[in-house]
Amino acid sequence: MLIIWWYIYFTARSIVKQSKYQCLKMSATLQKLITPLFKGLPEPPRNKVTVVGVGQVGMACAVSILLRELADELALVDVLEDKLKGEMMDLQHGSLFLKTPTIVADKDYSVTANSRIIVVTAGVRQQEGESRLNLVQRNVNIFKHIIPQIVRYSPDCIILVVSNPVDVLTYVTWKLSGLPMHRVIGSGTNLDSARFRYLMADKLGIHPSSFNGWILGEHGDTSVPVWSGTNVAGVNLQTLNPNIGTDEDEENWKETHKMVVDSAYEVIKLKGYTNWAIGLSVADLTESIMRNMNRLHPVSTMVQGMYGIGEEVYLSLPCVLNGGGVSSVVNMTLTQEEVGQLRDSASTLWEIQKDLKDL
Amino acid sequence: MSTKEKLISHVSKEEAVGSKNKVTVVGVGMVGMASAISILLKDLCDDLALVDVMEDKLKGEVMDLQHGSLFLKTHRIAADKDYSVTANSKVVIVTAGARQQEGESRLNLVQRNVNIFKFIIPNIVKYSPNCILLVVSNPVDILTYVAWKLSGFPRNRVIGSGTNLDSARFRHLMAEKLHLHPSSCHGWIIGEHGDSSVPVWSGVNVAGVSLQALNPNMGGESDSENWKEVHHQVVQGAYEVIKLKGYTSWAIGLSVADLVESIMKNLHKVQPVSTLVQGMHGVNEEVFLSVPCVLGNSGLTDVINMTLKPDEEQQLRKSAETLWGVQKELTL
Repeated sequence: MLIIWWYIYFTARSIVKQSKYQCLKMSATLQKLITPLFKGLPEPPRNKVTVVGVGQVGMACAVSILLRELADELALVDVLEDKLKGEMMDLQHGSLFLKTPTIVADKDYSVTANSRIIVVTAGVRQQEGESRLNLVQRNVNIFKHIIPQIVRYSPDCIILVVSNPVDVLTYVTWKLSGLPMHRVIGSGTNLDSARFRYLMADKLGIHPSSFNGWILGEHGDTSVPVWSGTNVAGVNLQTLNPNIGTDEDEENWKETHKMVVDSAYEVIKLKGYTNWAIGLSVADLTESIMRNMNRLHPVSTMVQGMYGIGEEVYLSLPCVLNGGGVSSVVNMTLTQEEVGQLRDSASTLWEIQKDLKDL
Repeated sequence: MSTKEKLISHVSKEEAVGSKNKVTVVGVGMVGMASAISILLKDLCDDLALVDVMEDKLKGEVMDLQHGSLFLKTHRIAADKDYSVTANSKVVIVTAGARQQEGESRLNLVQRNVNIFKFIIPNIVKYSPNCILLVVSNPVDILTYVAWKLSGFPRNRVIGSGTNLDSARFRHLMAEKLHLHPSSCHGWIIGEHGDSSVPVWSGVNVAGVSLQALNPNMGGESDSENWKEVHHQVVQGAYEVIKLKGYTSWAIGLSVADLVESIMKNLHKVQPVSTLVQGMHGVNEEVFLSVPCVLGNSGLTDVINMTLKPDEEQQLRKSAETLWGVQKELTL
């Protein structure tokens, strides 16, 4: 018995000695090459972003954030350890081409500590033909594990929820995190609006950024296109075509909104999932927050009290995003019909939310 | 009058000038799409075309990218099974073909990929006779040779992504050891992109300070710092990532975008890519291997003459022989 303990002791000692020796070995060249001026702990990151979930959406968000040079540290978390390690290594192998010097990953949330922004993409995704609302309870259970850990290690962070159904899950995140409402944001209709602007601009032969149009409300089947606000160079399209977006419209512009709603389902049917567009959209939101820009985005925020909505729900409205999160909401002039649609979305979402267990 | 006509008056009497900076990516698998998104996020082209044989996947990918147009600066993103969509490309990136399975070496993929190239390359040439071909599919050195033969292009317009990625991996690992950024750690890996790549220890430096001068045993068997292990990790890098996540994509995508940037912006940057090395370093065979090359908008115009040790040249010659052994059996 004693002999076994001696063996263990000696093996341990030689391992420690070897690892110290490795450090010593490297320090020979390091010492000759580099003279340190500052001996102390390295600076903590100031612009750290964490992405929770390394599926297609999470990785598209990660690579977009990296290529936009928004973070000085990127952390990845997931439960699938091999996949997680593989993705981290693949990104690290590209470090030469990037300006994010630290890319880390772990199953343990301590790796996410001191993040400014945490992007949550974890959860199950829509199957072909499945609506977003179906995923709810499955994803609530996953969030019950994720959100408290995030807040524990980054109590001052801003959480950007992407997982679907995003409006419900942003509400769930807000409840589970205990964070103030302006620091919990859902990616919402930022993507729907981007798709809308692309499709409309394409019809007009201009760049999407030159076409102004907002889609608000639920990120999903009942999103609300604000036709009264659509304009190019300040020229209001509804003034040019008063029937725009209605069934009486000869030009059938309403079809464009329908294409936006169907987009995700179509892409899923063709390639199995969507990732690039949502990744770019998340990087766009991250930029506004990280760079304290005060830019307007349609994102999912707590709308109780606005437009006569009584329920405690999250829906997308035009929000000013900066370093603190959602600093304010712009009061868009909506038609009665549009307000009605928002209220309908709110009721639908509340119906689902009130039945959720253990929040 | 339609809404569009009320809103916009067309005033130009000239034909629309086509694209000046078009890039095509052949193959919309993980590598192709990682290359595409990296190129888009770096604003390298005004027109991007995607081609593949899998029509649904292709359409899904192009739609997904188009939906992100608001956030990008690439006016046209198009895709088709038909190569006419690739017409007038400046650079055509070929990622199509079978990929390595877990544990499979790159050389094993050869004949499968040659057959695919016999269809792809003539189609590319037909629609973009003046383009620069950038071959990524593995085994890249052999397939770059194949693309060169099948296209009939001059050698400056057929480039293999080669050891650009191996060198990037090496510089990343070196950077970790030295606690510096990879762009400040200089090191070149040349030769075959694969198991027999050659790390040129004499060139490894930081701010011009040769690490081998500080550590004369560097890369050798008696090297107490075990730099040889670093090169081993580079070689194993791809296999490890494949084992963990099934494939590699991000690093190669970023590396391809880096090469495309040099070409599109006429940077005259020196990068390790695969080119015809017959006549260099004692290589007699008509093979492609990676050496440091100058890249610009005419493609690969010059090669840097590295001063290699005899055993490094030996390794290159040995790679050349191995590659020629495989190449001479191919039916092109």
